[in-house]
Amino acid sequence: MAPKPAVKTLPRRGSLIDGVKGNLQALIVGLKYFLDPKRFTLVYPKEYSKLPKGYRGFIILNKQKCISCAACARICPSAAMKMIRIPVKDPKTGKTRMKQYPVINYQRCIFCGYCVDVCPTEALYHVPYHDVVYENLSEMFWDLETFQKEPEYKTAKEGSPVKFLIHEEYGLIKVPAEEGG
Amino acid sequence: MVLDVVEAILGFPPVWQVLVVGFGFSLLVSVVAVWFERKTAARVQRRLGPYWASPRLGGLLHLVADMLRYAFQQVIIPRGVDMTPFLVAPIVGMVISILPVAVVPFTSNPQYWPLPPGAMEYSLLIALAITTLPPIFIVAAGWASNNKFAVIGGLREAFIITAYELIAILGFLAVAAAVGSFNLAVIAEAQNPVKWFMLLNPLAFLAVIIAVAMSTSAFPFEIPESESEVVAGPFTEYSGLLYALNMGGAYMRRFIYGILIALTFMGGWAPYNPGEGIFAGYIVPSLIVTVKALIIVLAISFLRAVYGRYRLDQALDIAWRLTLPLALLGLALGIIQAFIGLA
Repeated sequence: MAPKPAVKTLPRRGSLIDGVKGNLQALIVGLKYFLDPKRFTLVYPKEYSKLPKGYRGFIILNKQKCISCAACARICPSAAMKMIRIPVKDPKTGKTRMKQYPVINYQRCIFCGYCVDVCPTEALYHVPYHDVVYENLSEMFWDLETFQKEPEYKTAKEGSPVKFLIHEEYGLIKVPAEEGG
Repeated sequence: MVLDVVEAILGFPPVWQVLVVGFGFSLLVSVVAVWFERKTAARVQRRLGPYWASPRLGGLLHLVADMLRYAFQQVIIPRGVDMTPFLVAPIVGMVISILPVAVVPFTSNPQYWPLPPGAMEYSLLIALAITTLPPIFIVAAGWASNNKFAVIGGLREAFIITAYELIAILGFLAVAAAVGSFNLAVIAEAQNPVKWFMLLNPLAFLAVIIAVAMSTSAFPFEIPESESEVVAGPFTEYSGLLYALNMGGAYMRRFIYGILIALTFMGGWAPYNPGEGIFAGYIVPSLIVTVKALIIVLAISFLRAVYGRYRLDQALDIAWRLTLPLALLGLALGIIQAFIGLA
């Protein structure tokens, strides 16, 4: 069966007035944005975005509350959290036995917060920041001691806080925010 | 003896006009125009643009750093190129692109005209004739590069030349017809103080602006050098200083066209009447003309933020089907203005 001959059609050309109107409208929109751009680039060392309450930042372990259920390690979608076995002295009987605790690999963590949600005793919690500097990758494997300490917050604290809001006309806009609260 | 000869050469008005106004100013203007283009595009797209090199100047020194980088970059010449045109074309193209300044008067005072008054009678024609030469060297550079992108870019440039040259010349001649003289000084004086041809003959003005945007690869018509299609067009094989000459040449041509437009359509030194002496008679009016030319260049740079790039056939369609009749209408309007004695 022979292929059907395809007829190439060109889109119909609009009228001259439409073309002039469209060009003028484009220029007016460009001028409007040129005069009032409402930029939303985050000028990072001079500004930092203020993080909201409940921000899913770094995850810290409260070892006293941990009951070694391993729910966090099982739910972790990126297999960042693992359980390790360490010897613990039982205060009642005085005998030493092995107990499981979670440790985390921040090379793999995607900060989804499932482990914090699933923890039955609220032994895991988020700190509300994300900007921590590591000098090499092996520092991002946290052992049990590091996992209990909140890391040093190294964001640009000398700048001013800003937050991003939805604007009806411009989409996303940047407004200065109050620190604290 | 030697000093006398040097002094005679440098004291010859066309020479220092080309060196100071032509080369110095156009280098400065091209830096400012590139900066303005990047900054405007960033502003309209709600970004920041060049900033960190000098936050107080809004990143203007970023362009100086770019120029220094081009100046000290290694110039790589591929083995397959046609060596002589490859090296000569960008240099000669840039030199010729600033040559029209040699015949342009910046004041109504005949003492400071670059040419004797008899030769000034044809200054608009001479300047227009020289502005049509540099694209030939762009085509030659593309052909000598021995590279398919460069050849395609040169071919596109050739198409664009044939489209815009007639429009630009007809647009400028509309003003010459209205005034009845090819003398740029007479044309500029005829518009004093506010009878600017930009207002009297907007059709020719629009046609000339579109033709200038086409000739210097300004944005809606940035077809020969479109990065996404042909790497850098005719300049694909160039690197270092030769590439900077090529790219700066387009901005310099835009500035030279801006000077011609300022003189013919925007009244030249119009609100000001040049007086006697080097300061009142030459420096102030030439600065006024330069500022007007800079406004033209920056207005064309602004188009980058608004328009996308046309295809070659769309650009040729606009040139032949819309802008050429516009230029012819402008010419007719100029002749009518000459007939009723408006200008």
